[in-house]
Amino acid sequence: MRHLLDRHILLVTGKGGVGKSTVATTLARRASRDGKKVLLVEFESVSRAAPLFGMDAAPVDPVAVEPGLDLMGFDLLYSLRTFATDQLKLKTLVNMALRNDTVRGFFLAMPAIKSVLFLYHLHRLERIHGPDGDGRWDLIVCDMPTSGFVAGLYGVPTMVRQIFRVGPLATTADDMGKLLFDPLRTGLVLVTLPEEMPVVETIELRNALRAKHGIDTAAIVVNGVYPTLIDHDEMVALAAAVGEGTELTDDPDGIEGMLWAAGVLGRRRDRAVALLPQLRDAAGGRLIELPHLFRRTLPLTSIDELADSLGGTLKGS
Amino acid sequence: MPQPPPSAAAPTADDADAQPASATAIPDAAGNPVLDVLDTAELLICIGSGGVGKTTTSAALALLAALRGRRTLVLTIDPARRLLQALGLSDATLPANTPLEVLPRMAAAFNRPEPSHYDGGVTHAGSLHAMMLDPENGAVAMVERLLPDDALRDEVLGNRIYQALLPALGASPDLVALELIADLHRDGRYDLIVLDTPPAHNTMDFLQAGQTFSNFINERVLKWFAKVPRRDTPQKRSLFSRGGSVAMSVLGRLFGAEILPDIAQFFYSFRDVMPRMRERNEQTDALMRSDVTRFVAVTAPGATSLREAAHLRTLLRDESLPFAGFVVNRVLQAPESLSSDARLNTVADDLARRLQATGLSAPEAQNLAARVQEGAHRLRFMDRADRQQVASLQELAGTDAFCTVVPQMEHDIHVLDELRDLAERLVSGVQ
Repeated sequence: MRHLLDRHILLVTGKGGVGKSTVATTLARRASRDGKKVLLVEFESVSRAAPLFGMDAAPVDPVAVEPGLDLMGFDLLYSLRTFATDQLKLKTLVNMALRNDTVRGFFLAMPAIKSVLFLYHLHRLERIHGPDGDGRWDLIVCDMPTSGFVAGLYGVPTMVRQIFRVGPLATTADDMGKLLFDPLRTGLVLVTLPEEMPVVETIELRNALRAKHGIDTAAIVVNGVYPTLIDHDEMVALAAAVGEGTELTDDPDGIEGMLWAAGVLGRRRDRAVALLPQLRDAAGGRLIELPHLFRRTLPLTSIDELADSLGGTLKGS
Repeated sequence: MPQPPPSAAAPTADDADAQPASATAIPDAAGNPVLDVLDTAELLICIGSGGVGKTTTSAALALLAALRGRRTLVLTIDPARRLLQALGLSDATLPANTPLEVLPRMAAAFNRPEPSHYDGGVTHAGSLHAMMLDPENGAVAMVERLLPDDALRDEVLGNRIYQALLPALGASPDLVALELIADLHRDGRYDLIVLDTPPAHNTMDFLQAGQTFSNFINERVLKWFAKVPRRDTPQKRSLFSRGGSVAMSVLGRLFGAEILPDIAQFFYSFRDVMPRMRERNEQTDALMRSDVTRFVAVTAPGATSLREAAHLRTLLRDESLPFAGFVVNRVLQAPESLSSDARLNTVADDLARRLQATGLSAPEAQNLAARVQEGAHRLRFMDRADRQQVASLQELAGTDAFCTVVPQMEHDIHVLDELRDLAERLVSGVQ
């Protein structure tokens, strides 16, 4: 098995709200701290990584945000312009055509245009600047939209090929297919929370991608695993210490609040632990656990804490 | 900032013995903005990014509206079992694009007499239907509806490009969902339709789905391709010699000249339905902006979701779309007693003494109490962030919209009583 971060491209996806961006940024940060030259690509228009580096938005062209780490945001119109210019070799013609509302509206409204242009752009970045190109980046980590979109992505090369049997788009579709389906170049990372529904859906998605497209998930990341602060025996001891028949304290509400906290943390830990075995099975030894950091918003120091916690878990992913 | 009552906030019950909602009164509408919306709106559109509990919130709102006497439909695109589970119907299969009545089953699930018992004083009993959106079949149905003439329909459905594009249409279900709710609303079978919006890249994509479709298929685009000889046209004409537009030349070079006749054929087959499409788009757009429609933005703790909620509020205002309010799910709502460090210290000392009294050694007792204190401290940190966020959302909501807060549930909703309990929290959580 290949080390997770030794691929050229990682596509990071999962259900909404599971922490895809956190995981993508953590993996990118980890790789760059391990000495790799990394590009983090954000698909969504509202950037989650840019604020970590004191920026408002991710730029359409990669910029260095840290030594060894570049950031860019996917932009549909910019990618369309790039694609069209590559095909037509006439920048002025492209700009003129795309200034026309009807032309621009038409292209941006084409079904699956986001998938096609994203794959095109990614392929271009990897070919020109990847390890086999000028080596500007060893690894491109993509913070993708939700799993439904990514599952659809694997069908895009075939769809484009069906429509355009010959011509520039047919060639592009073939390139996109090679990129997506080569496990040494591209790895799929599925992110989940240690909660029932996301876990079930993650395992289903992994199975569906394997059955339908022959895609083997490179790693499953379970994000926000509560640590064991208080074990079961200790919970029992706590209940006994404050239960019926014990002397009243000065602050019964305070005691109750403490027990509430212990209970919440204990239940969440139990729930996570109960779900880990099936995830481990599904991941086939490629399960990465990230701890819950008890924060609603993660600053860069927290991302680095997560990156450090990865330790040796990436080996043989 | 108004604080939520700690008693309602603290989910003290264990998973196994969560208390079912009270079997009695439906909340009283008097002045409650959530109930007001449920009683008066005809179309309730739940928007928000994924993973914030949108599907469950939609189901809970629909359930409550049905219990209050309205004929309600909830439409979702998420896997059916989630909604079914929330509606206590995990064993049933929900057919795609077909409303399934859940109220008779609901009465059984409550294990109580007829649902009219819960009509909240309204004279007729409501009903609840659930429906799952299958975008691909929905897209086929949509195109078929647009093309009333059999020959034209065969022409489009048989088109190679149309067939290849179908999965892509299925992957972007916004338009299908919009069209479906517009049809259902026109149909008048339901007093209220609750839409759990598709997990779009952003809400704007959803709202503009009709416009986007007309950007793709419209008279001007048709005109470009009119210059291309179609496969069924006998005389071959040279593509560029007839003074094709700049756009045409771009298209030819991007797509390959060989493919253009097929593409031309695809657009040509929509020639007679463009006015109809435009008319439908205008109607749907008018419905979205009308006073029978309300948008509810569902959100959850976290700076990103706060930013997105603020973005949605601005978006709706800019587009003059009727905003009802925010639902903030999964708020921690820690008890007040955890709010001061000094108090936590005192209580931890007390706890250590009590643990010692039950037989633990002094270091053991102190160690355990310290860890409990640490846990409480961490949760309080999150709780503070949540409270600040709720305050910001309240401010964003202003006076003409609501902001209602739902505490973090300790497990997924499996049974109807829990969904009903959630519905009541949506009402009682108004800040």
